[in-house]
Amino acid sequence: MNQSIKLTINNQAVGPIEVTDGVMMIEFLHEYLNLTGTKFGCGAGVCHACTVIVDDEQGMSEVVRTCINGVERFNGKRIRTIEGHAKLNEQGEITALSPVQQAFLEHFSFQCGWCTSGFVNEATALIERLERKPIPSAQVEDAIEEALGEHVCRCTGYVKYYAAVKDVILRTKGLTLS
Amino acid sequence: MKPAYSSHLSPLYSLVLALCLCLVALPSMAADKDEETSAIERGAYLMKIGDCVACHTAVGGRELTGGLPFETPFGPVYSTNITSDKDTGIGNYSYDDFYDAMHHGVGINGNLYPAMPYTSYSLLTDEDTRAIYAYLMSTKPIKQANLDNDVSFPFNLRFGLKGWNLIAHDAKVFKPNNAKSESWNRGNYLVNALGHCGECHTPRDTLYAMEPDKHFQGAIIEGLEASDITPSELNRQNWTHEDLNNLFTEGYSRKGTVFGGMYPVVYHSFSHLTDTDMLAVSRYLLDTDDNIEPQKLTFNGHNPKLPGYPLYKGYCAGCHGQNGEGRPNVAPAMAGNATLDKASPHNVVAVILKGIDSQHYNSTTSFYAMPGYAKELDEEQIKDLANYLRLTWSNQPANLDIKTIRNVKETVFSHN
Ligand code: FES
Ligand code: FES
Repeated sequence: MNQSIKLTINNQAVGPIEVTDGVMMIEFLHEYLNLTGTKFGCGAGVCHACTVIVDDEQGMSEVVRTCINGVERFNGKRIRTIEGHAKLNEQGEITALSPVQQAFLEHFSFQCGWCTSGFVNEATALIERLERKPIPSAQVEDAIEEALGEHVCRCTGYVKYYAAVKDVILRTKGLTLS
Repeated sequence: MKPAYSSHLSPLYSLVLALCLCLVALPSMAADKDEETSAIERGAYLMKIGDCVACHTAVGGRELTGGLPFETPFGPVYSTNITSDKDTGIGNYSYDDFYDAMHHGVGINGNLYPAMPYTSYSLLTDEDTRAIYAYLMSTKPIKQANLDNDVSFPFNLRFGLKGWNLIAHDAKVFKPNNAKSESWNRGNYLVNALGHCGECHTPRDTLYAMEPDKHFQGAIIEGLEASDITPSELNRQNWTHEDLNNLFTEGYSRKGTVFGGMYPVVYHSFSHLTDTDMLAVSRYLLDTDDNIEPQKLTFNGHNPKLPGYPLYKGYCAGCHGQNGEGRPNVAPAMAGNATLDKASPHNVVAVILKGIDSQHYNSTTSFYAMPGYAKELDEEQIKDLANYLRLTWSNQPANLDIKTIRNVKETVFSHN
């Protein structure tokens, strides 16, 4: 039994592609599209390493784990993966990292990097939420904890991840209420 | 003048005398002590089965100090401190005071709200009530003031509870049914008296009293449905003694997991039942001493043409299995799932809407949290998915309509 899947990934239309039954989204990204930046950690929805962003027409987005969700859940939707964050030039070369990626580098947040793409997506979604609805700066740490709290880093880089995200939020205008 | 040696002998003599007296006194003191210890031990067990901890412990609070809110139609009622503390607990209760509280809902400060299941506990034997009293009095006294209830007028007037007791509370004595086995009777006592299962699983009338002729037929409580646990329904779903045993010890059986308010009940209470008592419970619930042969779990096959199919594959199959086989310690199977096989679709829809918190039972059994899909799936999709689940893995008709989904949604979210 095959499914015909059509969606938009990192602003590019993909499909329709015939996908065999029972394929999880992470497998689709890896095996059908060669987008291997999304990492498979626990495979059971616990570590959040495999998180991607799903955008809706109203400009709202949510983060979704790809290891426990079949490709059908994403059919027709707009997805952002780790490959869609940096700025590229016409030749497809990276010219600038996203602020979150840059901050993770500056803070030496990751070690092995397995959990990083999940953290980048989740932190990016958080920052976009704050753009729409800023919060008092006193609440920033709680907001980070709430957003990133379920992401597991096997190298235990939590403190540096949180510090990096806090840094981005506090230095970006319009995310906090003064 | 006393002989010189007497001053040496006299303390020795007293000691010997004292020892002799002790030897005379010791056996009966020891017997008392033993009796007391065994009453306390028995009380500790009974208290577990009565599930006192779950209700009398606030989230993150100290055991038995109360403070857990209970949603009633009239406003929240808080459980109280039942440690042996004299000021804030029940340290000042005599046994008779305690008996009155347990059997008639009358505490030393006035009538108790029937959220305290004295209507069930009234069936407790005197001996068991004494043992529980002995245990509670042996607990460490912890000072923690009780919270004021937030019950609306006129239900905040405690004397009204006297009237309630007059009309709705009938303190019955437990009577064994001689036509049934001893084990069945023990099960009846555990389930109806100590376990007070009827308090959630029996529908209530307008006076908020359990309806005796609807015993165990299921009721909505805090947005979820406490299932119909009548023998006829459990047998229709082909529960076996082993299934119930698994469910009550592990929180999990091949027919699914417990969730919502039943999770703490298994965790704090039922998982501590002795093997004999556990069997007694299932004999009573299934109303049979005979063994029941397990039947094959239901899987009627997929129908990819239905709109529920991609929804199942996209949202559920990752954890519940491509063919509903489940994943150990992650998510229960759809095949044979008792929640799906209920005539009432309430819990299936409620769970899709609001998910289930993660559950941990012991070092080898736990289940991951299931996310709720109330935001992502619209009513039409939830209807399609719920119907697909029923059609594929149960013997229930796939006839749910939007109205059903809407009604469940209302009930579920008015309780958050
Ligand atoms: S790999 Fe998806 S949550 Fe761990
Ligand atoms: S950096 Fe290694 S898992 Fe997080």
